[in-house]
Amino acid sequence: MAQRGNSLVPLVTAAVFIFLEIAAMSMLKRSSVLQDIWLNRASHNVMAWSWGGVSRLRNYFSLQKQNDILAGRNFELFKELQRYKEMEKHIQAMSKLDSLRFRSRFNYIPAEITAMGTNTRHNYIILNKGSRDGVKPNSAIVTPNGVVGVIYSVDKNYSYGLSLLNDKISVSARIGKEGMVAPLRWDGNGTNHAILKNIPLHLTVAEGDTVLTSGVSSVYPADIPIGITMGSRLIDGAVNIVDVRLFVDFASLRYVIIAENPDRDIIEELER
Amino acid sequence: MKKGRFILVYIILMVVQIILCNFFGLSRYVLISVLPVLILMLPKDMGPIVSMLVAFATGFAIDFFSTGMLGITPMALVPVGLVRRFLITLLFGDDQASREDNLSLARFGIIKLTLAIAVTCSLYFLIYIWVDSAGTVGFWAAALRFFLSVLVSTPVSVFVSRLLRPE
Repeated sequence: MAQRGNSLVPLVTAAVFIFLEIAAMSMLKRSSVLQDIWLNRASHNVMAWSWGGVSRLRNYFSLQKQNDILAGRNFELFKELQRYKEMEKHIQAMSKLDSLRFRSRFNYIPAEITAMGTNTRHNYIILNKGSRDGVKPNSAIVTPNGVVGVIYSVDKNYSYGLSLLNDKISVSARIGKEGMVAPLRWDGNGTNHAILKNIPLHLTVAEGDTVLTSGVSSVYPADIPIGITMGSRLIDGAVNIVDVRLFVDFASLRYVIIAENPDRDIIEELER
Repeated sequence: MKKGRFILVYIILMVVQIILCNFFGLSRYVLISVLPVLILMLPKDMGPIVSMLVAFATGFAIDFFSTGMLGITPMALVPVGLVRRFLITLLFGDDQASREDNLSLARFGIIKLTLAIAVTCSLYFLIYIWVDSAGTVGFWAAALRFFLSVLVSTPVSVFVSRLLRPE
């Protein structure tokens, strides 16, 4: 009891001090115009500062919401961009194409990463969208910055995918818009590094070229940037491999886009 | 007997301060005040709450009977009442502070007492000049006023401390 009383003494002292100072200040405000103006200005500054602080704090805690909104906008822009890219290709191929009848080859579904591994040679990724949202196996997982992986199996609400950081995954890639096509694989050296394999010896690859998805696949949409070339090495005296620095930062990845090709079954049937 | 004498001298010094405020304006750069030492020399067993109340009442009386602004002196003097006991412990140590002896020049020596008075004067004038200027006086003019006021008031206060507690 006595201990509680002792702990109250500083609080009571502070309260009395504040009370006396406020009493003195209010007397001063009434007795002098100059001090009245000065104290009013000071109180306005304190109020402005505290309101500004509250506003900054509120903005900080609403960052999550803003982030989700931005991710949504980013997804819409990506869809539109892909549609224009595909449309441009068709227009180039068929000069008399009626662009109004044009239909995008892929369906896009925005998703958030629920879990992801980056520490083994067979890394996985789990997304918060499943068959209820129209996700099917063998759909591509991409971002506007590059390829993330491919859907392996699908549950009602979640889907399980293989990350690009998995040595079982191979992506058909193209060096530049008109360059050669080669398979791209992760080589296990870090999360931002992959290699382009089977490059013929007579072809030279310049450093700094952009590597894109080729579109020669029913899984990945064409022209999604993957990374940039870093240099090439001779393997077994027969072929070159090209080092690629990936654009996707797997460490900070959170939002992705699932690209599903509705015609894939037909294409695969024809391939057989 | 000692207590009665202290109260009497305290009231006389308040009257002297009122007269100083009303009739002896040395310069706009020099303020003379013995009020911080009056609060510092209050009985040692007096807690911070009572010290602050005494400081407020003293400041209010000074402002009321002088031509100054009502409220400025209590505003500057209440913080002196708040830090008084902490300052005594800091400067004179826990042993000295816990003894029943009151502060006096004879017991604690001129150096430590002067230092304590200078600190309380500094705190008092810092607030007083800051509020009195109300943002209308430049920094260096206010600093000069503060420095000169502390320089003049500290020796006067040391002398006053002997009047308050001659033992």
